[in-house]
Amino acid sequence: MLNKLLATVKKEILLLLRDRVGLSVLFLMPVALILVMTLIQDSAFKSINEKGIPVVFVNNDNDSLGYQIKQGLLSTDLCYVSDSIDGKPANSESAKKAVSEGKFLIGIVIPKGATASIRKNVSAMVSETLNGSDSLQKQTDSVEITILIDPVAKKSFLNAVTSNLREFISEIKTKIMFQTFSEQIAEVIPDKNNTPKNSYQKSQIIRYKEIFASTATEQIVPNAVQHNVPAWTIFAMFFIAIPLSNSILKEKTEGSVFRLHTMPTPYLLLINGKILVYVMVCLIQFLLMLAVGKFLLPQMGLPALVLGNSMMGIFILTMATAFAATGFGVTVGTLATTDHQAAIMGSLSILLLSALGGIWVPSYVMPEVMRNISAFSPLNWSLEGFYKLFLRGGGVEDILPYAIKLMVFFFAMMGISYLANHKKRTI
Amino acid sequence: MSNPVIIEIENLTKTFKHATEPAVNGISFCINRNEVFGLLGPNGAGKTTTISILCGLFPATSGKVLIDGKDLRTELSSVKNMIGIVPQDIALYPTLTARENLAFYGSMYGLYGKDLKDKIETWLKKLGLIDASNRRVSTYSGGMKRRVNLIAGVLHSPAILFLDEPTVGVDVHSRNVIIQHLKEINAAGTTIIYTSHHMEEAQNFCTRVSIIDNGKIITEGTPAELISRNAGSTNLENVFLNLTNRKLRD
Ligand SMILES: Nc1ncnc2c1ncn2[C@@H]1O[C@H](COP(=O)(O)OP(=O)(O)OP(=O)(O)O)[C@@H](O)[C@H]1O
Ligand SMILES: [Mg+2]
Repeated sequence: MLNKLLATVKKEILLLLRDRVGLSVLFLMPVALILVMTLIQDSAFKSINEKGIPVVFVNNDNDSLGYQIKQGLLSTDLCYVSDSIDGKPANSESAKKAVSEGKFLIGIVIPKGATASIRKNVSAMVSETLNGSDSLQKQTDSVEITILIDPVAKKSFLNAVTSNLREFISEIKTKIMFQTFSEQIAEVIPDKNNTPKNSYQKSQIIRYKEIFASTATEQIVPNAVQHNVPAWTIFAMFFIAIPLSNSILKEKTEGSVFRLHTMPTPYLLLINGKILVYVMVCLIQFLLMLAVGKFLLPQMGLPALVLGNSMMGIFILTMATAFAATGFGVTVGTLATTDHQAAIMGSLSILLLSALGGIWVPSYVMPEVMRNISAFSPLNWSLEGFYKLFLRGGGVEDILPYAIKLMVFFFAMMGISYLANHKKRTI
Repeated sequence: MSNPVIIEIENLTKTFKHATEPAVNGISFCINRNEVFGLLGPNGAGKTTTISILCGLFPATSGKVLIDGKDLRTELSSVKNMIGIVPQDIALYPTLTARENLAFYGSMYGLYGKDLKDKIETWLKKLGLIDASNRRVSTYSGGMKRRVNLIAGVLHSPAILFLDEPTVGVDVHSRNVIIQHLKEINAAGTTIIYTSHHMEEAQNFCTRVSIIDNGKIITEGTPAELISRNAGSTNLENVFLNLTNRKLRD
């Protein structure tokens, strides 16, 4: 059996090597796509990345809340903060207009008396707690900070940014509340040396810092390289479905099928030989694309690909993607009846699956409906996995769900092919 | 081994999906060990269909086939080990060389190592393909492809060899060499089932023939028997034309 498998693998490698056009499609196309797409998108990502997201900041509060939020925004390079529009100081009306016109992607309006209102709430709460009286009506945090979002950029990755922003703002709000709270407590209980309030306050402040640190790492916005290299590598890996299905169909149409199906060798073994070879091709593609990302792109003035820190995770995810892609190719090759059909079926379905999967346009830029559909594309599972590895520094345990899904997809494809093949042979 | 009959076909019928008429219509016959059995018939008679069923390419619609006592429906995999096949359509990889093609197919039939290499070498020599053996098959002439196609079927010295028009498009020189080698294979103990449109070749090569038309067997016997049975016929071609009505087929 091993001899037969080796002979099949050898045949398949030879066939592949003799098919110059097929080979160049497999290796040059993804390199070209990565280069072109990265260069095109680099400037788009850059406008966000280098100067930061343009934010208009309207501070009607002019007290600690407004001040601290502004300081916070200024201290990250995620945002480019401005408090004037076309040279005139911004107010909530003009900010709304400017954002809707796309002059800014985000607007933040801090209402008048926001800090005072927080302080008032806290004092009320304090006196309520200390006096044990219910006479005061329950106060809720009524400070409304408005975040305006450019309608065109809506649903975009700005969502991620604004949610971080919301978190950040509410942290500052809480911080001010605690400050006020401890001041109030200090007034009521003047013993400064032995109150728990100092340690309480300290621990809270430290906790804020920790929250900050963790959100900061979550805030990596993918740059053109981090998105395009894995995206187009996955695309290219799935593209092997076309030469693979072609090779299956050629055997059917070139008459070899007569021998292949009458030999004392299971057809599955032949298919397995193909799968082995094409999985190897996928791995080579992957290595080539990594090399392009790491070495070629920096030569062209683009940032170098950052691999994250789990080589094992990368290996597992790549293998799973390779299997999913070959399984897909086997199915296309089995279902199609001519190589023409296979080429059309294969390329259209891969284009569709890749568009849905967020290869062309990252899925976090998609409207929610599409994002939900996107989760059905195996290319998306793979891409999400690579995001986890390359952007969030994830490890094996983070990509395992994606790898498992891809392997399930592979086995499902093999099952479909087996049934279809069985059905087809009973002509 | 005592049973002189190696292939037993009973009421074999094949109706393709979406077809109105059966391609093979209830044929029954036996092939003896070590025979060269000719399956002759006009285009579309059902020869290739019959051979395809016997090789296990697809199942029959109904009927029974025993090959060396084994039922094709239940023991296909052990039957596959006994047979060799030279299909009507060239079954080779055009971008591989003759050697690479033969190495692959030989391996699939369980040959390997030096044995495989030697057999390939011997056959390439026998059929005059040594010089071209490292060229891609796509650069071969039609006759050369036929010869490689033939070797791919005989390399593993099968007990039963199916030949579906092995000499179509081959010039007289090659044809004679091919038939000569096939006769040698047969003498070494291989049973041969052979189809052809070349009546003279069939008359000379076959020990027994069966004429099939419209999926039915019209007549059966040794070439000499058929000729003598049909008054006025001097050769197999006359018999064939008389029995199949001289009209054009699809
Ligand atoms: N896969 C198929 N599907 C449907 N019909 C088929 C199929 N293969 C053959 N046929 C039909 O079955 C009939 C017998 O075909 P077959 O190939 O067995 O003829 P043949 O005797 O080998 O002819 P030839 O001498 O031209 O090779 C023909 O009418 C053909 O059209
Ligand atoms: Mg035929």
